[in-house]
Amino acid sequence: MPTKKFVCIVCPNSCEIYVSVNEKNEILKLEGNLCPRGEDYVRKELKAPERVVTSTVKVRDGNMPLVSVKTSKPIPKEKIFEVMEEIRKLEVRAPIKIGDVLLKNIAGTSADLVATKNVLFKKNNK
Amino acid sequence: MVEKYDFLIIGAGVVGSAIARELSKYEAKVLVLEKECDVCFGTSGRNSGVSHAGFYMPPGSLKAKLNVLGNKLMPGLCKELDVPFKEIGKLVVAKNEDEISYLEKLKSQGEKNGVKGLKLIDSREIKKLEPEVNGVAALYSRHSGILDPFELTIALAENALENGVEIKLKHEVTDIAVRENFFEVKTTKGSFRAEWLINSAGLFADEIAKLVGIHSYRIYPCRGEYHVLDKNHSNLVSMLIYPVPPLESGGLGVHLTPTVHGNLMLGPSAEYISDKEDFSTSRDVMEELIREAKEMVPKIEKASVIRSFAGIRPKLVPKGKAFADFVIKEEEKVEKFINLVGIESPGLTAAPAIAKMVVELIKEKQELKRKKVFKARRKRPRRFYELNDAERKKLVKKDKRYAEIICRCELVTRKEIIDAWKNPLGARSLNSIKLRTRAGMGRCQGSFCLPRILEVLEEEFGFEALNLTLSCDDSRLFSDYSRKSLGKDES
Amino acid sequence: MKVDLAIIGAGPAGLAAAIQANKSGIKAENILLIERNNSLGGILQQCIHDGFGVILFKKALTGPEYAQIFIDELEQRKIRYMLNSTVISVEKVGEGFILKVCSKENGFLEILARAIIFATGCRERTRSQIFTPGSRPAGIYTAGCVQNLMNLKGLLPGRSAVILGSGDVGLIMARRLTLEGIKVKAVVEIMPYCSGLPRNLVQCLQDYGIPLYLRHTVIDIRGKKRVKEVVIAKVDDKFNPVEGSEKIIPCDTLILSVGLIPENEIARNLGVAIDQKTQGPVVDENLQTSIKGVFACGNSLHVHDLVDYVTLEGKKAGKAAAEYLLFDRLGKCNIKIIAGKGIRYVLPHFISGKKDVSLFLRVTKPGRNKRLIARFQNRIIKEELKRKVNPAEMIKFELDKELLHDVREIEISLLD
Repeated sequence: MPTKKFVCIVCPNSCEIYVSVNEKNEILKLEGNLCPRGEDYVRKELKAPERVVTSTVKVRDGNMPLVSVKTSKPIPKEKIFEVMEEIRKLEVRAPIKIGDVLLKNIAGTSADLVATKNVLFKKNNK
Repeated sequence: MVEKYDFLIIGAGVVGSAIARELSKYEAKVLVLEKECDVCFGTSGRNSGVSHAGFYMPPGSLKAKLNVLGNKLMPGLCKELDVPFKEIGKLVVAKNEDEISYLEKLKSQGEKNGVKGLKLIDSREIKKLEPEVNGVAALYSRHSGILDPFELTIALAENALENGVEIKLKHEVTDIAVRENFFEVKTTKGSFRAEWLINSAGLFADEIAKLVGIHSYRIYPCRGEYHVLDKNHSNLVSMLIYPVPPLESGGLGVHLTPTVHGNLMLGPSAEYISDKEDFSTSRDVMEELIREAKEMVPKIEKASVIRSFAGIRPKLVPKGKAFADFVIKEEEKVEKFINLVGIESPGLTAAPAIAKMVVELIKEKQELKRKKVFKARRKRPRRFYELNDAERKKLVKKDKRYAEIICRCELVTRKEIIDAWKNPLGARSLNSIKLRTRAGMGRCQGSFCLPRILEVLEEEFGFEALNLTLSCDDSRLFSDYSRKSLGKDES
Repeated sequence: MKVDLAIIGAGPAGLAAAIQANKSGIKAENILLIERNNSLGGILQQCIHDGFGVILFKKALTGPEYAQIFIDELEQRKIRYMLNSTVISVEKVGEGFILKVCSKENGFLEILARAIIFATGCRERTRSQIFTPGSRPAGIYTAGCVQNLMNLKGLLPGRSAVILGSGDVGLIMARRLTLEGIKVKAVVEIMPYCSGLPRNLVQCLQDYGIPLYLRHTVIDIRGKKRVKEVVIAKVDDKFNPVEGSEKIIPCDTLILSVGLIPENEIARNLGVAIDQKTQGPVVDENLQTSIKGVFACGNSLHVHDLVDYVTLEGKKAGKAAAEYLLFDRLGKCNIKIIAGKGIRYVLPHFISGKKDVSLFLRVTKPGRNKRLIARFQNRIIKEELKRKVNPAEMIKFELDKELLHDVREIEISLLD
């Protein structure tokens, strides 16, 4: 039974969590986490790893050309580049406030794309 | 119709620019062709910035004569052109008794060359002048000075421009046809004709000479590496400090050169290489420079280095061979072709004198009429860094763009960036801004000011970020925009 | 212009200091926050990735979101600030100080302040400072500079990159570049361990299959006008390249993430004593420097890895500055804190012994199952077992005032 090592990314403790799994990838033993979030993280990593994606989206008529964005929740790891494709194609108009939903259900992940910066309106900006 | 000039100068380094400026005093149509996108991008932009007194050169040589004359002319020229210059003096330091005889030889050689202000001093006097320097004796030279070589070259070129000289950047000479009454010079951007051809192409002077059928010269590139120290760590010495050159040990003989702007430079090394454009630095030399510098001034630290760079000397002889003099002559084989080959150190110092010599060579063959009006003075754009607070306040009141700091290390303001970009030579590259303003020459080496410089260019000139190059066309800084429709193609 | 408190820098440290100073009794109109960028928030505005605020807010916010929390509070409290304004010098004048400021809107200003807080952040170590040989073509950047260009201006530095240094900034940028379609061929780290946080190793390198070369460095940069390739090599224990281990990596971009250096030019020129190890001011438990009325906090005091601690430090400085201004009752701090075996530095440098104090320190190398010890002469004042220590992670070590009776100086060390 192979033991896998995970470094939990949830908080700065970065616990090293050791997991033994069987052939069906079910957890037999799990230890090293200081809190239950670590266990949740490892379970997800084994079955369906997820990540939050942060990036930038083009803004028209804003006091800056880009607004920083994030997915409203972690999305499946294998969809990261699909999400990036959508982000690249997107263009939004100022004004924008933190928390504004810029795109719903991005790449079919059920996560939204959300603004993380305020952008003021400024005419004639590229 | 191909344009015909009286004089065509190939190469806008400090020598070519000095010749251009000197010729611009006369009634003549003068053209300068420079292959790079700015003046001063060759050896003139990669040296110690020293005006040597002239005691290193063998008496009777052209190098000695032009060095001493150039050294005399330099303070006045820098004043006319508003180029920073300081006569800080030099100490050639002997670290043991055996080296003292060398100092005596140098002094006597200097005196033979007509150098004034040379004096042998002992260790006590060394300590009085330079407490951080170790030595048993030294040769003190009063007339050794420092200047900004970029500013000098740019000032000479701009002043020549103002006095009617045409300077074409990005024009690389590819072929020359020697016709009966003129030279036909082909470049990457068109052909030009001239009665006289002046070859001041530095590292490539031998190749230009070949184009007119003169194959007797070969340039041996000899690279010198330098370190530049942080201004905060540069106040260890206030004069030029040179060791006695190591004869057998094979060491570098590292010079300590304060700059007019307050940095201290260590170097140069000397290494014969094969590629004329290989300006890379190497680990062994970089370490050796520090090691030897620490021997002279123990308080020097590796951690003080903010920049390392290299220049290449256009030597006329290979490694091991002794001395080769400047070649400055009208070639017998090719009339009206003035050849300047092997203009290594003391080339910067000698530049004003070389220019005068070239004009004399021309005058031997034909009359040159002085212009009635020659604008001798040139003022450089104001530098915020160099002013005191009262002057700064006044300047900002006149133009608020002096209150926007773009480069925090060297305190360069928005207005200076604008002035630099608008330079009359039409040089448009990041390095062109750097040479003119010093933005990017500080301890952070441009990581703070790059986005800000870009913003100024975009806002003031509608400049397209993707077009920004470090130097020439194939040195673009950015590969693309991250999002479509960033950039100018907007509806 | 006259103010009670001038705070230089409106990044997380300055923002927290300003807000706390106000909370502690300094009127909003007597506080001036001076920021050289065109927005508040400092470096956070270009840190679009998440992971900020895990300690203070139990959330993994992005940099701009974290900054906005404080910006909103600052605005709400109507604390004064100036943007596009660069302080070029601070001088002592009488009991106070005069700041010379170059301001885009207001020109050349002279501002009188009774107290100063330095929150000037840090700058990046350059290629020249680490003596990387080779040519100097276009395509060599520091990671923070690329971050600014990409995240604020939407400019891509190149098409394929090698990153030198496995610090957090470099790791974050490895992911950022990859997501924007740039091929990151390698991250190269001279130490035998990754210098960034373990979770960044996972989410930035492992997630994208970017190779990490430990015990390696860049020994040559090639390319005349633009980077063409870099040469990396393994290094021995003395950090000298191992012959025969050279590997050429074709790329057009080299990104350096080789360390941050606190920015203290103005403080130095003012005459503030600087700790050579941290490159930041020498401070006491109130974050007061060697000059009375001058305080320091944030990355300009010492480089942090978590912004939450930067905020707490800013708060501390703001509170102390307020106490200084209102009551002038900051106590004498004569107990020296010394960094002993295994400790690279400890802050603060001096404490009073009359208050509970939190020490912040970094170890010299990674280790497991070590004892962190505070000792006065032969007496062990406090001992803590640390399961895992790492130079990349700042450690908090608390000393209650009861432990500090009769103590004249304290040595902090890390033992087996």
